[in-house]
Amino acid sequence: MDPMFLAYSYFRRRKYQKCEEICSQLLEKNPYDQGAWSLKTRALTGQVYVDEVDVDEEGIAEMVMDDNAIATVARPGTSLRKPGTGQGMPSQGVRPMTNSGRPVSGFVRPGTQSGRPGTMEQAIKTPRTSHTARPVTSASGRYVRLGTASMLSSPDGPFINLARLNFSKYASRPNLAKALFEYIFHHENDVRNALELASQATEQCKFDDWWWKVQLAKCYYRLGMFREAEKQLKSAIKQQEMVDSFLYLGKVYVRLDQPLTAVEIYKQGLEKFPGETTLLTGIARIHEGLNELDDAVKFYKDVLHYDNMHVEAIACIATHHFYTDQPEIALKFYRQWRLLQMGVYNTELFNNLGLCCFYAQQYDMTLTCFERALSMADDQTLADVWFNIGHVALGIGDMNLAYQCFRMSLASNNDHADAYNNLGVLELRRGHIEEARAFFQAAFVLAPHMYEPHYNFAALADQLGDLQSSYNAVKRAVDAYDGHIDSKELLQQLKQHFSLL
Amino acid sequence: MSLFKTRDWWSVGVGEEEEFDFGCLTVGNIDNSSDDLGKYNLSQSDMTSHSIRYTHNTDSTTGIKAFDLLETVAMSDNGTSPSELCQARSVTESNQLAVLHPRKLAVYSIKAISGTVEHGQQYQIQLLYEHNLQRTTYNFCYGPFGGVKGKDFICVQSMDGTVSFFEQESFAFCRFLPGALLPGPISYIPRLDSFVIVSSSWQAESYKYQSLASAAESPGVNETQNIKSGKKVVADWTFSLGEPALDIYVMSGIQTSQQFFVFPGERNIFCLSEGGVLKYMSKMEYDPTCFCPYASLAEGTINYMVATTTNSLMVCQDVTLKWAAKLEHVPVQIKVANFQDLKGCIVTLSDDGHLQCSYLGTDPAIFIPPSTEARELNYQAMDLEMSKLQKKIREKAHKSVITPNLKTDDDLQLSVQANQQLDDISVSMIRTLDRDSLYYVFLFQITVKSKTLIENIQIDIHTNWPLASSQYSYEIPSLESGKSTELSVKYYIKGHSLPCNLVSEVTARYLNAVGAPRIVTAKVKLPLKLIVRPVYPMKNAEYKLTIDTNKPPVNLNDIFPDLLGENAGGAGAALGFQFFGGPTVTILASKTSQRYRIQCDQFEAMWLPLKELVERMSSYLNRGKSGDFKPSFDGSLPLQEYFELIEAHFEYRMNSVKCKEMLGQRSSQFRVIQRRLLTKFKDKTPSPLQNLDTLLEGTYRQLLALAEAIEDNDHAQNVTSNNLSSGTYLLNYLIKLWLDLSEEEFNILTAAITPRVNDNDQHGWEEMVDAAVTHLLRTVLAKTAKDTAINPSPLTIPNDTSKVKKHLALFCDRLGKGARLVEGLRGKNLVVQAPVSVSDINSSSGQMIWILP
Repeated sequence: MDPMFLAYSYFRRRKYQKCEEICSQLLEKNPYDQGAWSLKTRALTGQVYVDEVDVDEEGIAEMVMDDNAIATVARPGTSLRKPGTGQGMPSQGVRPMTNSGRPVSGFVRPGTQSGRPGTMEQAIKTPRTSHTARPVTSASGRYVRLGTASMLSSPDGPFINLARLNFSKYASRPNLAKALFEYIFHHENDVRNALELASQATEQCKFDDWWWKVQLAKCYYRLGMFREAEKQLKSAIKQQEMVDSFLYLGKVYVRLDQPLTAVEIYKQGLEKFPGETTLLTGIARIHEGLNELDDAVKFYKDVLHYDNMHVEAIACIATHHFYTDQPEIALKFYRQWRLLQMGVYNTELFNNLGLCCFYAQQYDMTLTCFERALSMADDQTLADVWFNIGHVALGIGDMNLAYQCFRMSLASNNDHADAYNNLGVLELRRGHIEEARAFFQAAFVLAPHMYEPHYNFAALADQLGDLQSSYNAVKRAVDAYDGHIDSKELLQQLKQHFSLL
Repeated sequence: MSLFKTRDWWSVGVGEEEEFDFGCLTVGNIDNSSDDLGKYNLSQSDMTSHSIRYTHNTDSTTGIKAFDLLETVAMSDNGTSPSELCQARSVTESNQLAVLHPRKLAVYSIKAISGTVEHGQQYQIQLLYEHNLQRTTYNFCYGPFGGVKGKDFICVQSMDGTVSFFEQESFAFCRFLPGALLPGPISYIPRLDSFVIVSSSWQAESYKYQSLASAAESPGVNETQNIKSGKKVVADWTFSLGEPALDIYVMSGIQTSQQFFVFPGERNIFCLSEGGVLKYMSKMEYDPTCFCPYASLAEGTINYMVATTTNSLMVCQDVTLKWAAKLEHVPVQIKVANFQDLKGCIVTLSDDGHLQCSYLGTDPAIFIPPSTEARELNYQAMDLEMSKLQKKIREKAHKSVITPNLKTDDDLQLSVQANQQLDDISVSMIRTLDRDSLYYVFLFQITVKSKTLIENIQIDIHTNWPLASSQYSYEIPSLESGKSTELSVKYYIKGHSLPCNLVSEVTARYLNAVGAPRIVTAKVKLPLKLIVRPVYPMKNAEYKLTIDTNKPPVNLNDIFPDLLGENAGGAGAALGFQFFGGPTVTILASKTSQRYRIQCDQFEAMWLPLKELVERMSSYLNRGKSGDFKPSFDGSLPLQEYFELIEAHFEYRMNSVKCKEMLGQRSSQFRVIQRRLLTKFKDKTPSPLQNLDTLLEGTYRQLLALAEAIEDNDHAQNVTSNNLSSGTYLLNYLIKLWLDLSEEEFNILTAAITPRVNDNDQHGWEEMVDAAVTHLLRTVLAKTAKDTAINPSPLTIPNDTSKVKKHLALFCDRLGKGARLVEGLRGKNLVVQAPVSVSDINSSSGQMIWILP
């Protein structure tokens, strides 16, 4: 058997490790075997390949030192930084928010959990517990980890010494250059050298290969030069319309905080490639980011029309139904999802199922679902599961169980603000005013974006006669959620009281 | 990943310990039987096998019962057979089998001979012809090249990208494809008479057969396979795919003869028209392993199947997913075959040789989630356990969670003894801050003794600045039960400041046998000699304190035998101590009355000598007898002096806040300038900097200066904190002597007016003491019921110290008027209410273990 053939066969079957071993042996015998060399770069890339469209992690530095924003004070609904009030979305009282002021999403993607703090000071002060570690810049963070992972796979040091590579030689050989570029970009994570290679290669092919333009844009994007990336991508699309080009261009516009243009781009892509789920999902994600949940769900439904096994779409639609008071429909989606056996068998799913069952009044299923959720939960999710069980206990009026569940939640996650808030309410019911106060205080210190603890604290302070702190707290509550009637009433009442004095 | 699974119709394991790859499976009417339905299913092994296998699937009268016949024909060839198989027509117009070996192309014919028994037919395999090749082969395609009728020619691609053409039994010619590095898929389109390949530069290229054939340098007799060079062949059209393709398929529409190509890539599926124009593409969100387009049901669309690495088989029409089913294996190749009684059967071959014929159905893919914990429910026992646990919870619920409970049986014992003599060697080692003064170093022995085997004991030594120890932490890898180990640590003074206490804490952390973290703390009292040296007493001083006792006066020389220095021969009525680099404190003993006076130019410096004096006197006078020595104080409390200390400390705090604010402003200014500069530099047309660079540098200098100022301020604040701490100790002690407080009351007092001055960003000493004192004033010291309303103000830094001073004065006033701290007060509440900072929790008196929750 020809070893080269065997290596190629392993590569085809995605047995990259074996392929790489054979290539290494071949290269030892003949270091100038270009075929083996190229195959080895491809095998090494294949081991660490992550689709660049999906990788998006904004570090603190990117967020704060962002000089690409068009307008600092954007009109409502045109910026991801200031999500609009949103028409027809469930109110905050029904659907909880993340601290960026966006409703929680049904599907965790890079970027959904993060908020955009306004200033550097705020960014650094964001509570940095073990659960919300945010890298300082995206140049550290995940990419560094990717880089070290690639080091691990080759213990004798890097396979190619990039510093000694003659880029112009390789750029003129398109059959080697493309694989080499992917190797440098994905495996070595050396964007600067990748850019060097790409720019020389695109020159060599007289600027008529769209692929190199897209690769250039990828490099520019990584380096934070979004305008250059935009230019390259537009040129690439003009030359040859490809799905990836549209996706990258949309991503660039999202980064430039021009969600509407991004949607435009995706729609343009859809005209050429009708029914492309990745483009549809892109639009849906932007609508979700802009708080336009109805539109988001519309596009997620379109996604399902073309790919009815799309987990993200199912999850987001289910979450939407759950929070718009249709737990039965949500339950259906989750069930289908579960029945579909999408490889999804995890805490989150069972937790959601349990909650849906509870609200759909299928009490018999509720506890078993939660039991399963608990059996699979890790530290991160355990707190949430216990919190939800506590919620169910509240619903059936078992205050003791609820109390203990919330305590369990706190035991696994010390910073669970919702649990603190609910414990406060329970303590208040028991008449332990001081404890209740302390719990509310803890809750709103941990999660200033939640309006509930602010209001609870205000109401309690008001009853105790501490009008000043009540006023302060209720003002914070109104800031956090300006549609809360009770807070507004309390504020009105306090203002009246003060003016009487 | 899917709702349904494929229904198994027939399956067989092919080969043993063999590996199969794409190209090992082909489906066709191999024995050229007349009826169109009886198609055959042939698979061929790869890699290690020396044989061709083909399986025959015939059916008896009943459709379901099928005879599976598996025949193995040993190949005479030495090599293994890496490649695919097709129907290659030779001279006759019947189907033949072409097999590509590493260096050989062989064509076989297979004949069926009906058997005599029920078990069907026998097959005979016969080699028709073979070509020996010079290069390692990769794949091949066949077709009527050049438009010949009724014949198929074969084109073999080798590993280095050379294509060789064989016109049946004869070799035609051989060409290099331009830019070939690794071979890609190749396909022949009869309509256009051209070849489509995907090259290593990840683009689809089309070559006309004519141009390939005519590119020959010297057509004629000397054409051999062994070519070294060739003319460059020009592609008909190219299309950049941007990724390697797995295969190429040529599809044609139902009505029109228009053909198009499907390129399944690693990440996308591309569909190109005849002229190399992209019709559509679809991004796959999974890893495909193989692909099989099978039909075009509506005009302009293609139906295809994709198998993924996650065991699923997806059936799509263009970009729409139509069906998904779960497969049992990850296939390397899929084909659709028509059998006599099952049309459109899906034939899959997996990597390890599992050949399966299946069809789609609605059998659910049964996935049984692992049961959580299947144990017999015993309700009685559960009730019992539940009530037990409930009881426990109820018991615990009464106690506050944050107060840890004391436990006396600790596994580790920690004791610290002073080594009596001074450590002479290290005296010289310590750098002296004052040239003329001598600094002492005291050596202490820490003894660690354990009852059980303990591993990884961490010992930390904490002293308050300006005292320092030679080592701050030790680590004992393991300590056997009953054994003890000794560590030595040296204490000395470091830095110019008044120490506020002479206590050092030695803390041992370890995990006990259960795995719970435990802490043992021991306190060390350091000798006074560490911080003062004897000097001549001073007559006059600014601040004086007089202490009364109930015992006749004592000779001070007897009390301070170790600190006499030059006063050794004196009458013992006056002693002077000087803090290293600090003020001098004079202790005077009255000859007639039972009074002692302490005087000094600095108020807070009197604390440690006073404490030392009282302690030494009580131990001296109570020697042998029951302790009835009692000091008292009846002057007025030195509140004014104390308030000055607070003022000084607060000023530095305000200063620090101001500096930090300024630093924040400057740094944001710095960033704004940086941003402006960056925009200017990034601009295509360079514009003048407008002195922004000067501004940047200026701001940078300001930043550095501010940072230095903050550092200086911090240092000064530390000194004042220490002074304030000493002052607070002194004040508390004086209040104790003045009112003769019990130990319990004194504890409350020190918890309220805490001598631990520990400033951080969130809250400082002033507001903490203010809150605590206010609380005491509102609770135990309240005069009327009206005062008792509790409304704790938030702990924020106040604007000035007037409030805390007012409250402290009021507090002392109420105490002086006879209010007590304990009556009607739940002790526990006070502890909870008093702001407890982290350092407070760590340092409680005595040896104790903290049970961490």
